[in-house]
Amino acid sequence: MTEPDTAAGKGKALLVRRRPAWLPWAFGLVVVLACLGLQSQLYTGQERTITTVFMFVALAVAWNLIGGYTGYACFGQVGFFGLGAYTTVVLVVHGGLSFWIALPVSAVVAAVFAGLIGLPLLRLKGHYFAVATLGVAEGLRELVTNVPRWTGGGAGITIPSTGDRAPTQWLGNDGFYLLFLALAVVAAVVVALISRGRTGYALRVINQDEDAAAAMGVNTTWAKTVAFGVSAALTGATGAAYAFQQVSIYPERLFDVNITVLMVVMVVIGGAGTISGPILGAAAIAIASEYLRQHFTEVHTLTLGVLIIVAVILLPQGVVNFARDAVRDRDYSLLSNVRRYRL
Amino acid sequence: MSQLLQATVYGLLQGGLLALIAVGFSLVWGVMNVINLAHGSFVLIGAYLAFELHRQLGLDPFVSMVPVAVALFAAGYLVQRGLINLVVKAPIFITLLLTFGLDLVLVNGLLLIYSGDYRSIPTGYAGDGFTLFSGVRVPVGRLLAAVVALAITLALVAAMRKSRTGLAILATGMDRGAARLMGIRARHVYALTFGIAAALAGAAGAAVGAVGTFSPADAGRFTLFSFVAAVLGGLGNMYGALLGGMVLGLVEAWGGQLLPGTLVNAVAFAVLVVVLAVRPQGIAGRAFYSTRVEV
Repeated sequence: MTEPDTAAGKGKALLVRRRPAWLPWAFGLVVVLACLGLQSQLYTGQERTITTVFMFVALAVAWNLIGGYTGYACFGQVGFFGLGAYTTVVLVVHGGLSFWIALPVSAVVAAVFAGLIGLPLLRLKGHYFAVATLGVAEGLRELVTNVPRWTGGGAGITIPSTGDRAPTQWLGNDGFYLLFLALAVVAAVVVALISRGRTGYALRVINQDEDAAAAMGVNTTWAKTVAFGVSAALTGATGAAYAFQQVSIYPERLFDVNITVLMVVMVVIGGAGTISGPILGAAAIAIASEYLRQHFTEVHTLTLGVLIIVAVILLPQGVVNFARDAVRDRDYSLLSNVRRYRL
Repeated sequence: MSQLLQATVYGLLQGGLLALIAVGFSLVWGVMNVINLAHGSFVLIGAYLAFELHRQLGLDPFVSMVPVAVALFAAGYLVQRGLINLVVKAPIFITLLLTFGLDLVLVNGLLLIYSGDYRSIPTGYAGDGFTLFSGVRVPVGRLLAAVVALAITLALVAAMRKSRTGLAILATGMDRGAARLMGIRARHVYALTFGIAAALAGAAGAAVGAVGTFSPADAGRFTLFSFVAAVLGGLGNMYGALLGGMVLGLVEAWGGQLLPGTLVNAVAFAVLVVVLAVRPQGIAGRAFYSTRVEV
């Protein structure tokens, strides 16, 4: 995400002492341990809610790699989610393979698929890329719906997870809590490592000015494809876990455009191009959405829409980026955000 | 053979309606670089307004098209002035998300008021039809909808190229900064553009209500169709959107004849992705705004 620079802010930033490099890792470790400890304190319903939060954390972090760091607004992310889910279904139902084999295979399949479509699509910019990826996801859904022999078609399909035909027993609420927590942690660590490495810098440069990056000798095609593939792999693995958790899956739910948009909303509201932003955004929105669903069943989606509108207008650069800039520039007014982007 | 002819006629008629929806969408995209994800819900609001006007006053949908378009123009103007103008200069996700939030609010508002049931506006003539050569049937309602849609689209394109307001809109789309230097009020022009797009969507909604059924769940489909049509035709190119809508209607109708199930949708998306990958400027040649300056 391009942020308009404030020259004064840059100068002050030099005076701020850098925090030690291990601090975020230590903080992350504490959070993970807290999540592990929290599990024994939760009722079943709460445990499911937090499990959903973990899932969205993994998805948002994965989207951030291609959408936040690289600036390629992928609107077909749910395609990788559904692809991972259906790969697992086909492997478990038709191949009789264990879920623990199907999960990594689904990640690989999603990554390979992303690599293949990435070659032509990553040459597109801006809205064109967004629309093309949206088209790919919708096309995948239609494809899945129309091969009922393998996927059960529009009516859906059930993974055998109990009884003699089950290659892997259903994990139960406790098991899925741990599985989704693990997926969220893996996603966050992978993205954090990439963002601190050479590829991460390449991605940020692509976001700023792709032509200049290419002219400076950055292999932009490689960096973009890696970001797209890794993002797809993480999303595909999460989709695979989701399919096994839900047991019965059908295309309408697994290729729901709203899942993509939720990922984007979480990243944008949390702060694109940061590690903590998508995690915070995903947790906040998933919990808010769940709360609204339980207490205002009739109007919960409508309220979510209003929240999105307000958040996007007041915090277009996300909470984390806003907080960082606000501390640096000593400007805590939300209205200066509005002033920056309004016509 | 006559089946294929029949499908072609249906495809062209449906294409006319899709074109009317897509033109407004394409205009907003081309002029402001905003993808309006709420476009489909404007179509539905138009349909429900026409539905109400028919229920309360007994107005024919092709008559109520006019007040519906006026109402949606006003609503669109206010939405752009009060909401979207606040984030027009932000990165592209922001406007996408804003219009998505708007779409959530509108679709769920409609769901609360009208529930998810399918509705239609009864007209005396919708079922009537006449037979063309070699047994091809043309339903009167659909023919009327397509003709009206095409007439409005062509009138709009002509107005954009001839009138001062139209030229101001096109100029702002090409270079907002320069347009402002020429004394064009960008805020007003953007609101006007969005209002026109909403009015066209509303008019199309009234026609959709006259020829078929609708429910709030259809909003996403209409938005997606406008996407595909606008991209097929070339971004911001209004004749292109017209062409894109026609192509989409034909692909749907032919695909429905030849392919099993809903595979036709997969084909439509495949066409979209291939066109994008090979010719991002659209099949109609150069995009009208290919020279636009980002400010």
